[in-house]
Formats: sequence, C-alpha cells, structure tokens
Amino acid sequence: MNKHDFILKIEDLSIAFGGLKAVDSLSFEIKEREIFGLIGPNGAGKTTVFNCITQFYKPDKGRVFFKNKDGVVEDLVGKRPHEIISKGLVRTFQNIELIRELSVIDNVLVGSHIEFKASLFSQLFRLPKARKEEERLRKKAEEVLKYMGLYHIKDQLVAGQPYGILKKIELARTLMLNPKLIILDEPAAGLNDTETLELMETVREIRDKLNTTILLVEHDMKFVNNLCDRICAISFGKLLAIGTPEEIQANEEVQIAYLGKEDE
Amino acid sequence: MDKGKNKLIQLYKSKKPYSDYIVFGILLIILPILVDLGIVKYSYLTTIASILIFSIVALGLNLLVGYSGLISLGTAGFMGLGTYLAAYITKDLNLPFEISLLISVLVPMVIGILTGLVSLRIEGYYLAIATLAISEILRKGFVEFEAVTNGFSGKQASYPTLLGFIELGRNGSFIMIVVFLIGIMILTYNLINSYTGRALSTMRGSEAAAQAMGINIFKYRLLSFAIAVAYSAIGGVLYMHFVKYTYPNAWTLTLSLNLLAVIIIGGVRSIPGTILGSFIVFGVPDLILKRLPIIGDIDGAAYIFNGVLIIIIILFYPLGLIHIRNDLKKLMFKFKKRKESYSEQA
Repeated sequence: MNKHDFILKIEDLSIAFGGLKAVDSLSFEIKEREIFGLIGPNGAGKTTVFNCITQFYKPDKGRVFFKNKDGVVEDLVGKRPHEIISKGLVRTFQNIELIRELSVIDNVLVGSHIEFKASLFSQLFRLPKARKEEERLRKKAEEVLKYMGLYHIKDQLVAGQPYGILKKIELARTLMLNPKLIILDEPAAGLNDTETLELMETVREIRDKLNTTILLVEHDMKFVNNLCDRICAISFGKLLAIGTPEEIQANEEVQIAYLGKEDE
Repeated sequence: MDKGKNKLIQLYKSKKPYSDYIVFGILLIILPILVDLGIVKYSYLTTIASILIFSIVALGLNLLVGYSGLISLGTAGFMGLGTYLAAYITKDLNLPFEISLLISVLVPMVIGILTGLVSLRIEGYYLAIATLAISEILRKGFVEFEAVTNGFSGKQASYPTLLGFIELGRNGSFIMIVVFLIGIMILTYNLINSYTGRALSTMRGSEAAAQAMGINIFKYRLLSFAIAVAYSAIGGVLYMHFVKYTYPNAWTLTLSLNLLAVIIIGGVRSIPGTILGSFIVFGVPDLILKRLPIIGDIDGAAYIFNGVLIIIIILFYPLGLIHIRNDLKKLMFKFKKRKESYSEQA
C-alpha cells in the first residue's frame, strides 16, 4: 500500500477573523486524480479554506500537506503565496482575476510566469534566449487556447469579453504549468445551462488528459453531484460529512444545514 | 526600382514599432542641421532637447504608474540628484563622463529601491506623499550640502566628452539625447512586451492573481522603482550636460506634477503617448503659443492657454491624446469611403 495516495491532506485547519471562527478544525484528504467538491451554505468558509490552502491567509492552526510535483509531501503552511504555484498547485478565483489591459493570450501566458528564466538584461535587449523562451511558451499558450476553444480571440483584449469566456480564460491560465492540483472557486457561477454542461465536460477532460486532481467549490448542486467523485460538506467552518454525491445527498446533517430542521 | 522601394516598405512594416522609433530619431537629428542652416531658431533646439529629456523621465514614470500601478511624486528629486551627481563627478572630481553616468544612475537607483521598500507597506495617496517627502529631502540636500552642491547658487557642468576624447558640442549633445531617448524607447518597448512587463501589469490589475501565478510582488515593486528612478537619473545627467546648469528650485513638486501630467495627457501605458504628452506639457507654450499674436504678447498667457488646452484634451481624450490616432483613422476611412461612393455615382 502506498502510504501517500493523497495529493492534498488538510489536518485540523482553523482560522478565525476576530471572534468569528471561519474554519474550525477542518480535516479532509483528496486522492490523486480525484474531482473533489467542497460545498456548504453561504458563509460556510469554503473560499476561506481555499485561501488557507494557497496561503493567501495564514491559518491559526493546522497543516496543509501537499504532494508536490516531485512526489514529495510537504506542509504548505508558512510558505509565501507566490511560492505555492511552483509546487504544482494553481487556482482560479470566485471574482475572476484577469488583467483587462492585456490580451487573452498574454493573460494565459501569465500562468507560466515561473517558467520564464531569461534575465532582465536579455529581456531588455531581446536576446535570443529571451526570444526563444517567449516563442516556446507562446506556442504552448496557443495550444492551450485551441484546446479551450479560445484561439480565435487570442489577440483580443480581455476587457469587454463576456463572462463565460472570462471564466474559460481563467481556467486556461491554470493549465499552462500542467499542475498537479487545480483549485476552482465557483467555476460555474454565472454560466448558463449549456455553458455549465460544457464546463463539466472540460473539467473532466482536463482531469483525464492532464492527469491532474481537481478541487472545487460550487453552489450549483447539480453540477457538483454530476461531476465530483467525492464531496465534503461544511457549515460554519465545521465538517459535516465527506462521501460520494449519493452519500452526501442522503446525509441528514447536510440536509439540515441547507434546508433547516423540520419541526416535529 | 519599385521593387526595392516595396522591399524597404516591407522591412519598415515588419520591424514596427522599432522602425517608427528610429525614423522619429532620424527626424530629430536633422533638427540641429536646420538650426545651423538658419531655418529653425536656436531656442527651438533647447526647448526640444528638454522635451526629449523629460520624455525619458516620463517613460520611467509611465512604467511605474501605468504598468506597475504605483505612484511617485518624487520624480523631480531623483532627476535633480542625477544632475548634481553628474556635475560633481565630472567637474569637481574630473572623472570621465561614462563613469559619471554610471554612478549618477546607480546612486539614485539605490535610493529608488529603498523607496520601493516603502511601497510594500503603503499605497495610493500615502505612497504619493512618501515619495514627495523623499523628493523634498533630496531638494533640501541640494540646498544644504553646499560643499558639494554650491547651495542656492547652483552648479555648472559642460558638454560631455565621450571616451575621453570625443568632445561633444551643442549639436553633439543634442544627438546624444536623441540616441538615449530612442534607445530607451526600444528597451522600454521590449520590457513591457516581455514576461516582466506582463508581471508588472498583473501586479497592477490583480495582486491576488499575481501571487497565485507565482509573481513575487516584493521583487517587481522594487524593480519598478529601480527602473523609474534610473530613467529619471539618466534624464538628469543628460539635462546637466545640455543645459549645463542646475539649482535646487528646478526640482520641486511642480516638475513632478508636470511629469505626471505628461503621461496622463499623452497616454498611460503608451510609449508614443508619453512623447506626445511631453511635447504638449513642455513644448506647446514655448514652441507654439508664444509665437501666436496676442497670446504670445502677454507675459504668461501662453501658460494659461496651455492649461486650458490640457483641460480640453482631458475632456475629450481621458485615456490620453494618443488615442486620437483611432479617431483619425476612422475619419480617414469615412473620407475614403465617401470618395469611393462619389466616384461610383459618377
């Protein structure tokens, strides 16, 4: 038996904002190549969990073990936010974080920032090293855009693109580094039914083709139930249940958290 | 014959925008010749030289404001520091121009990086005030360190001598300024289209995205300040060796604000916009308005009219006058179409 068949393991994670315990002794484990959903009512602390994993917030307590690109398990807590991506973990944001003034392809290229190695000097003078590197990664970005069906708008500015496209661009940006784990914060929010279905297919395909693991937060229960292998439900920062979509749907505590308790 | 011409046009188009910059540079280099021939007044040359020098400084500021999303009201102080260092090193220490250029840029850069450290803690208005304070400290230094700076009376320098034996005159110095400007335009263009440029834009657009994508905010903020200050200092050195005189009150907040106006009027995030803005802020009063009847006759009226002009520009082109390009293109297109439809009717 492989001792570390998880890719991400959260242990006893807690963070409080003032008196409010946003995440309270939360533990869960995500297996490799799994599509794992994190659900919970509004304000349950889902995005906070994401921010604790990616070190945007420093958790008060607990550990975040991640099996990085080299297969080594390390604790992410205490790392700086910009160091996380190099471990093979990349995320999207609930409120799309793209750069309006840059073209679609440039936005995607930002996703491979850490792969660029040319010195400032060789960038200033456009020396062959910088040029080749730019060319190579631009080609890769073009491939990613083709894959996402965005190639035809690659040179357009991000400003003014419709919402569904923006979501796709953000997803494309995460693919530049062949990450081990992609964290999606409400990927289906604001999408219509067709777009949601399409997204479901894309996420599944990304998992299969890139051999990656997906952790996502989503409100759309149909989306989560159809897509995720396992789901973790939380409420007020506390774990309610972990299990397959069927198990979660049948779980009484989850039903109470979402729908309230029935009076006897 | 025609084929060769076509090839040249093709080469020109394929090397854009470098070819534009270089053609611009060549046009500028013709100017001293026109002055020598008596076609253009000498005073024009001086004005244009300072416009070009301020363009270099404003390019640095545009990188800082437009790309990195930081602000500085300390530009004048750093430019002043460049002038004093250049004067002190070449005149008092008698060291060659090249060494002076190096030191006069490196020293302000170090101070600029320290300013960058401040920017990690404060942003927006607060950063503006902090950089203003640094600039005022520098200006106070120009007044008080009399042994080096000569206090209020200011300091003098001469036209530069390159490599120890090429003595540049007025025209030579002008050409040197043009070469520096074009070089810096090219380097700036390369930089903003490299991954560093994208990182700066990302930092400005979304700090969260920048961090998630592995962009070290600390590093890129310091880098932005270092580059902006280096441009200011280069501007200062060139100024010192062309105007040949520096004094503390030349480096006040007014100049920093004017430089900020340059990029806002010309076009934030635009290299040609910066040059255009510099022409409007530093050139239009002396080159155009003062030559006009009535406006030119009344003392100071040119500057008032320039203020009015700037307000009008901002009203119609809030993103910078450089965007007039698109409107002109549209107009041309319309004009062409109308002409075609007329000829069809006929």
